[in-house]
Amino acid sequence: MSTNAGNPIVQIRNVYKYFGTLKALDNVSMDVHDGEKVVIIGPSGSGKSTLLRSINQLEKIDYGSIVVDGYKVHDDNTDINKVREEVGMVFQSFNVFPHKTVLDNLNLAQIVVRKRSKKEATEISMELLKKVGITDKIDQYPGKLSGGQQQRVAIARALAMKPKIMLFDEPTSALDPEMIGEVLDVMRNLAREGMTMIVVSHEMGFAREVADRIIFMDYGAIIEEGTPEHFFQNPTKDRTKLFLNQIL
Amino acid sequence: MAEIKETLNPKPAVIAVTDGPAIPHKKDVGLFTAWRVSFIGAIAIIAYLAIFNRDPYWEILQFLPDGILVTFQVTVEAIILALIIGLFTGLGRISKNRVINGIASLYVEVIRGIPLLVQLFYIYFALGRVVNLPAIASAVIAMAVCYGAYMGEIFRAGIESIPHGQMEAARSLGMSTGQAMRHVILPQAFKTILPPVGNEFVALLKDSSLVSILAVSDLLRRGREFASETFTYFETYTMVALVYLVITLVLSKLVSIMEERISVD
Repeated sequence: MSTNAGNPIVQIRNVYKYFGTLKALDNVSMDVHDGEKVVIIGPSGSGKSTLLRSINQLEKIDYGSIVVDGYKVHDDNTDINKVREEVGMVFQSFNVFPHKTVLDNLNLAQIVVRKRSKKEATEISMELLKKVGITDKIDQYPGKLSGGQQQRVAIARALAMKPKIMLFDEPTSALDPEMIGEVLDVMRNLAREGMTMIVVSHEMGFAREVADRIIFMDYGAIIEEGTPEHFFQNPTKDRTKLFLNQIL
Repeated sequence: MAEIKETLNPKPAVIAVTDGPAIPHKKDVGLFTAWRVSFIGAIAIIAYLAIFNRDPYWEILQFLPDGILVTFQVTVEAIILALIIGLFTGLGRISKNRVINGIASLYVEVIRGIPLLVQLFYIYFALGRVVNLPAIASAVIAMAVCYGAYMGEIFRAGIESIPHGQMEAARSLGMSTGQAMRHVILPQAFKTILPPVGNEFVALLKDSSLVSILAVSDLLRRGREFASETFTYFETYTMVALVYLVITLVLSKLVSIMEERISVD
């Protein structure tokens, strides 16, 4: 499915990124096609979050190229805000705006960035909140919500921009176990609707079920990639096998 | 493990000395807190003196209100100006632009290194060479320039206290840095800086007594005018001191109430 969809919507070529002397990304290249779901796994410090964050330039890469929906993210002359309008991001720590109500969390960027009217923004927000299962508490502040609810609000907030791609940076890692399911459900539904998704996660069940392709990273490099079947049944690289043995 | 670490490295003692009357704390619920004793004591002494020693205390008390108004005027105007200067200084101090950052840092360093009284004289007479401003306007500008530097540090600390993820979330929704500052970071930072700004307000009110040397008829100068006509120096300055005390005690109480409200949210 990834090979026949024409030009990739995300095109990453020979990317290097250093934090001081630490090589965080080591010659990484990958493509993501429209509608594809890619799950990136790997031990902590393997560069998977850095890779994800460089797609919308939360991290600036040192060498190589990243092209997202035709925009050259690596190029300083690119208006990065235009790219970010098309790329939704969900964080491990939710990062909902605590001083805004749930509804205003969703409305803010729609009004400020997308220049929608308040009425139009609210309509879109209400629809999305319903979709992520937040029907009451719309006028509450996020502090009153559980972690799972906050993360679902954060997902809805990103979706309200009508992005073409969604990035998830360990979206369930900060959640209590009983709340992980509700967030993964929302992500599953999103995948079913055909959203292009790049997910950094330790949820192997989710990866197996939803991913078109799994990418395993270690020491800043892509070690192995393939379908979930390939990945969980016949991994070829020793480091992949070692990692899977440790977590499964 | 965490426990061992804690006993080996006890938290360093925090010495916090504010430039103002002790801010009454919520925990101080006793009847005889320092705040109550000084507040009720000051009011009682003023009342006693004004009633039983009408000459000169009642006359002094009638002479001072004009000065109180001027003191408040200088304080309020200076704090508003200082807030504006402080906002830009604070933003400058966190700016990645080296020139802007350098200018803001230089301003803060220079101002903090010169006594307020010297600054007042300097700005007052420096302004006098270029523009002809009324004394009170010069005084307000001088106070604001000084306090703007301190306010800048408060703004900087307030902005830096907001978790970095907030900026990242706003930026990844397509907001510019300016939009993210305005809609996401500053509204949250204002909440954390409100109590220290309140403290600065109290401190500025007290420091505003320095403008009395610049031909501004504030509370202290009104007292001096009265005293020099009647030669009742001791009596007048007793009254002036008590009035300042009552004002700052009331203001510091208001700050602490505001602080409590915010921490409840």
